[in-house]
Amino acid sequence: MTCREAGPLLDARLDNELDMASLASVDAHLSDCLACSAQYQALQKLHEEIVASDLAHVPGIALERKLADQFLREEKAPLRWWNWNWRNAWAMAAVAIAAVVLLVSVPMLRVSSTDAISAEILDNHLRALQAVHQVDVPSSDQHTVKPWFQGKTSFSPPVPDLSQEDFVLVGGRLEVIHQQTAAAIVYRRRQHVIDLYIAPSTGADSKIEPSELGGYHLLHWTQHNMSYWAVSDVDTTDLRTFADLIRAR
Amino acid sequence: MGKDAVDTKVRFFELTMWPHMRAAYNLARWLVRNDQDAEDIVQESFLKAFKAQESFRGSEAKTWMLAIVRNTAMDFRRRLKAGLAEPLGDQGREPADNSPDPESAFVAESRREQVRQAIAKLAEEFREVIVLREIEGLAYKEIAAVLGIPMGTVMSRLSRARNLLLVELGGVKEVQHDLP
Repeated sequence: MTCREAGPLLDARLDNELDMASLASVDAHLSDCLACSAQYQALQKLHEEIVASDLAHVPGIALERKLADQFLREEKAPLRWWNWNWRNAWAMAAVAIAAVVLLVSVPMLRVSSTDAISAEILDNHLRALQAVHQVDVPSSDQHTVKPWFQGKTSFSPPVPDLSQEDFVLVGGRLEVIHQQTAAAIVYRRRQHVIDLYIAPSTGADSKIEPSELGGYHLLHWTQHNMSYWAVSDVDTTDLRTFADLIRAR
Repeated sequence: MGKDAVDTKVRFFELTMWPHMRAAYNLARWLVRNDQDAEDIVQESFLKAFKAQESFRGSEAKTWMLAIVRNTAMDFRRRLKAGLAEPLGDQGREPADNSPDPESAFVAESRREQVRQAIAKLAEEFREVIVLREIEGLAYKEIAAVLGIPMGTVMSRLSRARNLLLVELGGVKEVQHDLP
């Protein structure tokens, strides 16, 4: 391969867009040619610099509210596409009531450390449900969500694509659970939100321990030095299926 | 409208549109360089996407949304510059980002700011590929879908854009691959 041939492929090499054969040819050329290898290193450095500069413009909360109002709440929307969705209203009311019940009952629930963590997890889940945005990195693409945690957590959370099984990835966010940084990966099953919390653990691998709190289901297990909690109001069978899928990855 | 239809529409918003809101805003903001215009473009794009949901046939939601945002931003700029030609400076650069940024005087010397300004200075066709690839992390196929151009064009624009950035940021001479 000549420089003229390799040159245009350096970017594709950097972006992992080459097929195996071209990759091998480009790499062979790079190991022989100082000029191209210097150019490749410059491109790589540039790429790293742009990524490290974190240049994404973040929308203000006002825009999020405006859009949520416009598309989810009819009374404030300038255009009337649909009637007020009573089912959603009841769901919101139920969440609010559950949150209040929880706030009142949480001190009593903290009898053991596991219970305390479960309560904290559910608390966190409910808070996220009420917020306008439930994720720091909204994306249905596992290759966007997973790398987002790089540098933010000391571990790389598994973010499997479960869309075939009808668990749709919504995004991820950073949480602190029991004074420890945790990754929350958000999925949806129909209208139900499933939060999967992941944090490092020194405990031995354990089976799934189910628990229930205020109408919400929690599943907890430890696997490969990571602690997992899945929490949702989706039905138990679905949540169990979800946990089994995560454990199998 | 029946309840099921309402649910379907809400679901469409929540599952197909909402997860890409931040990417939509980021792209819009890089294309128009002003917060308020970017917000307007996102809102207009969401309206378009919402109305066009029957035409969405399960292709990649993110590229579909970003293509709408990009077209909306183009229309917006066209309206703004009605009758005026796209100002293409030497080496395909545009005048620097003129959005008000009170901090810029203090942080202009920082490397991050240099990188940001170098990208902001790129001509639109180069800036958008850099934003989609380096900031949004899209694959070439996805960038091609958003911009409605062939993969080969994505590759050549990206390569040209990176070389312009290298020149701007590193003081490196632009590399011409014409060696034997």
